[in-house]
Formats: sequence, C-alpha cells, structure tokens
Amino acid sequence: MPIVLKGRPIMGGRTRGRALVSKDPLSFLGGVDPETGRIIEKNHDLNGEKVGGAILCFPHGHGSTVGSYVLYSLVRRGIGPKAIVNEKADPVVVVGAVIADVPMVDGVDISKIRTGDLIEVNGDEGIVIILEERSSCT
Amino acid sequence: MYLSREEERVLNGEEGWAYQVAMRILVKLGDLFEADKLIPIESAHISGVSYKTIGDASIEFLEALGESGAKVKVRSTMNPAGIDYNHPEEMIRVPEIMEKQDRIINIYKSMGIETVLTCTPYYINKPKENTHLAWAESSTVVYANSILHSWTNREGGPSALAAALIGKTPNYGVHKPENRLAKVLVKVKPRLKSEAEHGALGAHVGKLLKDEIPCFSGLTHTRETELKHLGSAMASTGMTSIFYPDTSCPRISGELEVVSVDVNDLKNTFDSLSTTNESPDMVYIGCPHCSAEEVKRVALKIEGRRVRRDVKLWICTSRYVRKKAERYVGIIEAAGGKVLSDTCAVVTWLKEIGIDVLMTNSAKTAYYAPTMNRVETIFSSLDKCIEEACE
Repeated sequence: MPIVLKGRPIMGGRTRGRALVSKDPLSFLGGVDPETGRIIEKNHDLNGEKVGGAILCFPHGHGSTVGSYVLYSLVRRGIGPKAIVNEKADPVVVVGAVIADVPMVDGVDISKIRTGDLIEVNGDEGIVIILEERSSCT
Repeated sequence: MYLSREEERVLNGEEGWAYQVAMRILVKLGDLFEADKLIPIESAHISGVSYKTIGDASIEFLEALGESGAKVKVRSTMNPAGIDYNHPEEMIRVPEIMEKQDRIINIYKSMGIETVLTCTPYYINKPKENTHLAWAESSTVVYANSILHSWTNREGGPSALAAALIGKTPNYGVHKPENRLAKVLVKVKPRLKSEAEHGALGAHVGKLLKDEIPCFSGLTHTRETELKHLGSAMASTGMTSIFYPDTSCPRISGELEVVSVDVNDLKNTFDSLSTTNESPDMVYIGCPHCSAEEVKRVALKIEGRRVRRDVKLWICTSRYVRKKAERYVGIIEAAGGKVLSDTCAVVTWLKEIGIDVLMTNSAKTAYYAPTMNRVETIFSSLDKCIEEACE
C-alpha cells in the first residue's frame, strides 16, 4: 500500500524517481558542484552524492540567493534533481525551482522518506507518494 | 495572493516566457510569505553582477532572459561588478574572466538596467520617503529602510530582477507598517567614535538579533556615514532589514526587549574582525562604496603624504561620486592611492592579484573577506587605515 504524504504545492508537475534524503539544509551556491551535480558542502550528510536524476528531499535551503541560478544551471545541463521535497520552503530554493521548472512540494515530513525509496512527487496537488520502499533485507 | 486580470495574463505567458518566469517568481514568493497582492515599486536594485560571485550558472539564466527581449518596467540599478575596466592595471588580467564579466554587465544593460555598478545607488538617485522598492544587496536594503525611510524587503538577485521586469513586488514583510515596528531596545553604553566602532556594534547586534527590528539608545554620532556602517555590518552578520538610530520610532505595544552593549562586547567584536597581526598588503576603504564626504575625509588625511611602496591603497566608490569628488580624487591619487569605481574588494579577485592581508575600516568587508576572498583581515578606523598605508 503506497504511503501518501500531504504537503503544499510549490511548483507544478508530476514525476517519479528514487529519493535522495538529507537531514541537513543545503546551499546550492558553494554546496553543489555546478559541473557535476555532486554535493560538496562541508559536513553535509549527502557530501559526495550526486543530485542528478534524484528526487532531492531536504529540510530547506540556506545561503546566497545565487543558489537559485545554480539549480537552474544543473537542470539545464541534465545533472539536476528531478523534483524537490522540502520541510519548509525558502526563497532561494523556491525561485530556483520556478526558473528551472522543477516540481516542488513542501510541508512534508521527510523523515518518512528514505534514500533509495521510489517516490512520486505531484507538484500540482502538493503530495508525495512512497510507491516502493527501499528493500532493507538485501 | 490576489492577481488582477492583467497580472493573470502575464502569469499565463501571454507576454512571453521572460515576463512569465518573472511573474511566477513573484507569485510563488508572495504565496510563500502570504502576501495579499502585488504592489507597484518605484525602483529596483539588482545584485548578482560580479562574475566572481555569480559564476557561469547565472549567466545561462540571465542570457536566456536577455535574449527573449525582456525589459525592466521601473528605474533599475545594478550592484558592483568584479572589474573596474578603467583601472585594468589594478585588476586580475585573465581574458576569459574579463570577457564573461563584460557579458554579464551587457545582459543587464540590454534589459534597461542602469550600469551604475555601485552598492550605494541612493547617492545617485535618492528614493522618496514612504515609497515601495525592490532592492537587493543587504547594505542597500537596510540603508533604504532605516536612513531614507523607503520601504523594501531584503530581496535576492533573482527576486529583485523579477520585480524590476514586472514593476511590482509582493506585499509582505516590511512593506506593511505593522512589520516595521521596533521590538528590541539596544542600549549602547560606550561612546562610539569612529565609523569602524559603529560597524563593530552592527556586527555584534546583527548576530544577536537575527531578523528582529532594533532601536538604539546611546548613539551620539548619528551621522550618515556612521549609520551606513552600522547598518551594513548588522545586515551582514544578521538578517536585519531595518533599524532605528534612536527611540523615537514606531514600536510594538508593550515592553521592548532590552539588549545592553558594554565596552567589552564592543571590544570583543571589534577584535574578532581582525584575523592577523601581520602588516597589510592592501588598505581598503569603500564598503559600502564611499560617499563624496568619505572621499574628502581620506583626501584631507592623506594630503601631502605618500602611500608606501609595498602597500596598495584602494578607495572604492561609484563613478558618479568619483566624478563629483574629482578634486579629492586628485589629492588621493597624487599620494599614490587608487580611487576605483564599478567594483569593490569583496567582489573582485584579491588573492589572484597578490593580496594576502587586507586592512579595512569596513566591518562588513572584515566579516566576509576571510571566506569570500580567502585573505587575512585587519579591522581598524579610517584614520588608522590611512596611517598604516602611508610612509
């Protein structure tokens, strides 16, 4: 039975993919390498992971407003996240999602989602559906 | 957020992609902060101009906007860039960097944004009191709200640009009188003298308050220069967008929360803004960009003296002020100092031109330079900075 998490629609669009989940806020400027999409923010729990093709779930953004442009650039180069799920949206990430045209939902308890889960983000209705939990016994 | 029929049309893309994206940014931010509607703005100030700070990522987006033919709807100005093209001998000389910086300036220019390239656009054109603005660059925002009594939220580069293209901004935050009330009383015990001490006070208070609005008691030198340094430092270490220099101001009903600042608090913050005891290879005055009055102060201090051979002295200001203070610029340059415009120490390449230790009277620069420019800092008053720079 899929688990449905209700949040708030921020940016429309519907997509599914594997979740990449963090407990730490993320700064796109200085925190994500614009050439590779790799997270390089110091002491970040996703340090070394690539955001490309993932549904990126993190509490909220922080840092410079230039971060919005970094998100745009990542998506344009095909190394950006497929969708974004936040606990509390902040202006930098919202503007980034708007200009990059990436579905985004906030107000979701992201502790319910684990890295590797197959999830669907519905940015029009503001819901996240966990379709298939990452198998924990393999 | 309520949208008029015309605003709906823009949001639906009937005016093209660029205006649609701009409107979408404003609508999403408006929804996020529970704005009731969009309100017209008198002017916009755009940050994100230096190639050093915005990098390649932003160029792609800005170029797409520029190519679509988007134009600003209100008077709009831009922040400093990474290069002063009139003083190439002082700048980093990498052709690729020079070319990309030039491209960024031209994209903004093609949208109708004035190439003032300064963080003090208010010296060129002062906005009217009680008018709404969409200004980015935190020192500019705090100056507009606190000293000019205009009204602007602390915009980022993209949201200020979106507001400029639409000519409106979402009505939330300090656009509403009820969000401009002082909540904290900062009692300043020491008698502050220099602009640097006001900067140190700002750095201390900004860290404590985050985004709460303070009023001050005990400030005796409430001149424009000192207040500019106080505000810009406060906005660097905190999220402040407005302060009141005295207690005759609109305030919340009931008791204000009181924060006392004593001699030791000020000294500790002042000292923390220096990271080294070594001697500087650059002395820098001009963050925020100098007023004509500050250029004059430097000139009177340096007249008849000589800048040491092993030190660069940079005075940064806008082209407009530089022209206005031409006589004093001549005095400073005769002494061996450089009066630069269109850029500043924080948004240019310092390490790459051989600077390891930067001495400044700006608390904002002293706060940012160790991370943004990877240099050591010495924080001191303007008078001591000029002393150090001269033979």
